[in-house]
Amino acid sequence: MDTAVEQATRPFIEVTEIWRPEGDTLVQAGGNYGGLDAFEAISGHTSFKKGEGLPGKAWAEGRPVVLKAFDGSYFKRTEAAKEAGLTAAVAIPVFAGEELKAVLVVLCSDDDIRTGAIELWSEKDGYLMLDDGYYGAAKHFEWVSQHTHFPKGQGLPGGVWASQTPILMRDLGSGYRFIRSESAGKAGLTTGLGLPIARPDGENSVLTLLSARGTPIAHRFEIWDARAAKVGSANSAVMIDGICDREGPLWSEDNPRRISAWQGPIGQVLGSGLPVAQKSAPGLPAGYSDVVGLPIYRGSAIAHIVAWYS
Amino acid sequence: MQKLVVIGAGMASGRMLEHMFEADPQAYEVTLFNAEPRGNYNRIMLSPVLSGEKSYEEIVTHDDAWYADNAVTCRFGERITGIDRDRKVVISEKGETPYDKLVIGTGSAPFIIPCPGHDLPGVVAFRDLEDVDAMKTAAGSDGRAVVIGGGLLGLEAAAALRLQGMEVTVLHLMGHLMERQLDEAAGYLLKKDLEGRGITVLTGASTKAIMGEGRVEKVVLEDGTVIPADIVVMAVGIRPSVALGQAAGLEMGRAIKVDAQMVTSDPDVLAVGECVEFDGNLFGLVAPLYDQARVAAKTLLGEDDVFRMRELSTKLKVTGCDLFSAGDFADGEGREDIVFRDPGRGIYKRLVIEDDVVLGAVFYGDTADSNWYFGLIKDKTDISEMRDTLIFGPAYQGGAQVDPMAAVAALPPDAEICGCNGVCKSTITEAIGAGATDLGSLRATTKASASCGTCTGLVEQLLAVTLGEDFRSKEAGICGCTDLTHEEVRRLIKARELKSQTAVWQELGWKTVDGCHVCRPAINFYLLADWPLEYQDDLQSRFINERKHANIQKDGTFSVMPRMWGGITNPAELRAIADAADKYNVPTVKVTGGQRIDLLGVKSEDLPHIWADLNAAGMVSGHAYSKGLRTVKTCVGTDHCRFGTQDSTGLGIKLEKALWGSWTPHKVKLAVSGCPRNCAEATCKDVGVICVDSGYQIGVAGAAGMDVKETERLADVPTEQEAIDLTIAFVQLYRENAKYLDRPYKWVAKVGLDWVKERVVHDLDNRAALIERFAISQSVYQKDPWAEHAATKTDAYTPLSDFRLEAAE
Repeated sequence: MDTAVEQATRPFIEVTEIWRPEGDTLVQAGGNYGGLDAFEAISGHTSFKKGEGLPGKAWAEGRPVVLKAFDGSYFKRTEAAKEAGLTAAVAIPVFAGEELKAVLVVLCSDDDIRTGAIELWSEKDGYLMLDDGYYGAAKHFEWVSQHTHFPKGQGLPGGVWASQTPILMRDLGSGYRFIRSESAGKAGLTTGLGLPIARPDGENSVLTLLSARGTPIAHRFEIWDARAAKVGSANSAVMIDGICDREGPLWSEDNPRRISAWQGPIGQVLGSGLPVAQKSAPGLPAGYSDVVGLPIYRGSAIAHIVAWYS
Repeated sequence: MQKLVVIGAGMASGRMLEHMFEADPQAYEVTLFNAEPRGNYNRIMLSPVLSGEKSYEEIVTHDDAWYADNAVTCRFGERITGIDRDRKVVISEKGETPYDKLVIGTGSAPFIIPCPGHDLPGVVAFRDLEDVDAMKTAAGSDGRAVVIGGGLLGLEAAAALRLQGMEVTVLHLMGHLMERQLDEAAGYLLKKDLEGRGITVLTGASTKAIMGEGRVEKVVLEDGTVIPADIVVMAVGIRPSVALGQAAGLEMGRAIKVDAQMVTSDPDVLAVGECVEFDGNLFGLVAPLYDQARVAAKTLLGEDDVFRMRELSTKLKVTGCDLFSAGDFADGEGREDIVFRDPGRGIYKRLVIEDDVVLGAVFYGDTADSNWYFGLIKDKTDISEMRDTLIFGPAYQGGAQVDPMAAVAALPPDAEICGCNGVCKSTITEAIGAGATDLGSLRATTKASASCGTCTGLVEQLLAVTLGEDFRSKEAGICGCTDLTHEEVRRLIKARELKSQTAVWQELGWKTVDGCHVCRPAINFYLLADWPLEYQDDLQSRFINERKHANIQKDGTFSVMPRMWGGITNPAELRAIADAADKYNVPTVKVTGGQRIDLLGVKSEDLPHIWADLNAAGMVSGHAYSKGLRTVKTCVGTDHCRFGTQDSTGLGIKLEKALWGSWTPHKVKLAVSGCPRNCAEATCKDVGVICVDSGYQIGVAGAAGMDVKETERLADVPTEQEAIDLTIAFVQLYRENAKYLDRPYKWVAKVGLDWVKERVVHDLDNRAALIERFAISQSVYQKDPWAEHAATKTDAYTPLSDFRLEAAE
């Protein structure tokens, strides 16, 4: 698996930012703006009340929100985003029980090349149905997703829902019969990361990030298990799955990687309970400069951490 | 350089080569044959490849570069057809290859049940990449899969196929899943987990045939069930692949015999992996295979090492499914269990201990400390010092004893106490401060412990912490196995649809593995009363009288009492009884207070025969031993008595014919008197009917035993049918609500007669529903146990030991 890492012209996700509640307001608490300095500067001076703007809406609704066009919407930084070439965004609120810990916002830029998918699936009548999604150039795949539903246990969303565990599926489109594999294959989508979303209303939602080979969401994905039922009372986590374009498989059945709280970016997520999005972060695996780490809560405790690197 | 030939590029031989190259890369010139057209890959990771959670490339252990770097001549896809030990050559399709040392690592082959249709296209095993590809192709069509075998491999295949989008049914012959690795409680949780993924699991399912025109279409079970299938995965076990070794004349057992250096009966031939037998043992898990590989490498290099059997542990590779089992957890004399359950989080932990040593461990839902426990098992550590906190894991060892009260007091205000209703500590303490000073009022105001009830203990501790001495604990639990009362358990069995004993033990947090002699009969009754169609009556949970269908006497003999409907008999029945008494030397024949004839002093081994004789004369069991309907005593009524107002005998017979065979919380005795003179003594029965000119007076809740109590009037009704309906509805209400071993008079005293009247007399829809549910129950349980036992269970009555030593219960 020591293959050369393909360099995309521009990444599928251009900006990742973190908003933290301070009293009744969300304030910017770091992020990776990918060199879009003007947008970063404006964001640093912006804040959101509950229900206000995209992060505030995700807070108020208690679930991820997909916004595919900024013009005429509740998005507050439309002009700055336009200038930066950003056209769509997804806000993922991180709840510990009923307490909002942070909102992770990813912003993307539409063109005819960049393919990927960020989808929100929510339970309705015993099935997961597509709530909303952003697909970039994968228009046909978007149509298929809108007309698909997943029973418990089936496909990436159904599997995440049934197991309440993040799942990283390989090669969605090349022979593993992912339930929408034919369409996924056409769209060039190869890897799928599914995340259970902790919602304060107790409803079930699953977020999927589907990554294409040409314009990958990331070159390295990791899933860490931090449940006391798995790692005991020690504040630590073990890697249960991971794949890297450089290192190949990262998982090990016999000797899984283990980290403690505050050890590296994953340890920071574990110790602080907050997501991280860092650019040019020190201590990353060789060849990587950017990392996003997202805690997945079950009740008031972190159950898993997912991370992607580029 | 010496020539080493290895047959089979599996995990054991691959690890052996690694060790050997590491120690001495120049020792041998290696030629590696493999029937599969590829090299060594991590076979135990095939299930995540099947599910799509791993790619094949990720599980390749040795790629082409590795073989090239180590100068291994790879002959993949080339099958060995023979071994000539005299000439020291192996024979393959392409000729002969000489060896100085030979290692056989041919592994195993899946066992295919030889049922009709097992060779149809679409029947696959789960052993190699070809099988995975075949399954993936089938999954691509969104089809239906049947997996035969609920062991490790079968369940991994089932979960993977489900993730791939198939409708999956697992058929398992035994009573619970993975019975070799898990006990019933863990098997229950695993089944529940898999069902939560949309997989259908059928236990006790025996495959009769696989059918289809040209390819698989359906699987037929022995009980006639038909399951449609596009693919059938056989995962019932493996058998060592030993044909080559056998043909070569090596010493064989169930597989190729090796010594502790992995050498076969030929000193130049070694064997490793699933094809070997060592000291009578076969191998299927990877850990001992790696040990064998290490030893074989040393042997090849002329170094000393010894293969030893060791304890094994099991995990299941299904995402989100945490289970662990190790050691021996079978029941046994002198063995004790430590059990921890957390129903809210689906956790079950059990340790089996003997002589202060942990023999086995089964964990479901929490495997955090499994390695520590596995160490205790392997090292046979003396755990006497940490026994009380052992189940909580290593973090609790060495410190002071944990005081549960202090722990509750120390909980932060926002700590969740009741997971079901999301009630935190501060909500409860505020409610206590506002005047809710007992469990009932706390439940009413906060809903804490009002759903599953498993936090009742915590809530009570909070009451005790907050109120101090003012708080008095509620009624004690059923027994030491649970803090829940009978009434709570009954409510929860209904509310949470618990339909098996295992479900009760787990979901209600039983502190023991499977109950005790106190709770088991009660739970067995509650389950069969609430779920007559779904629940399977468990004879082992019954008192000896109900197991034997006869009353054990103080000398160890039994009594036999045929049913006489309404106390009416005839000369033929009397002759049959007399003949039976003669034939089986019955020492005592007694007319009972309930108007029956009792044969006392029958030996256990004679029971099935005397029952058969009485059956032949048209009589059935009188259930004189049961917690169920006993007798309906009658007077002669209008047929003969000049005071009689109604056909009391006829009504008595009808009632007995309607109610016999039903199990109840305690025994139920009825009587019907034809007039208020009450010759049948109906006013001290559980249900007593007094016939009057205007109809029938139904009395309930009388007693004439340790307590004496007159019946209370349930209702007066004009017609016989209404009298029957009310009686049946009352008995069913009693069956559904009373505490086990409460006679109706005790139960009515608790719930109040008005509560009963509301449901049985005034609410006609409810009365009809009670009668309907009773009829459903009777469709299962109204059967003569004598006939069944005389026909099929005669052996069970032949004494293994002297019953006189067994205390009467």
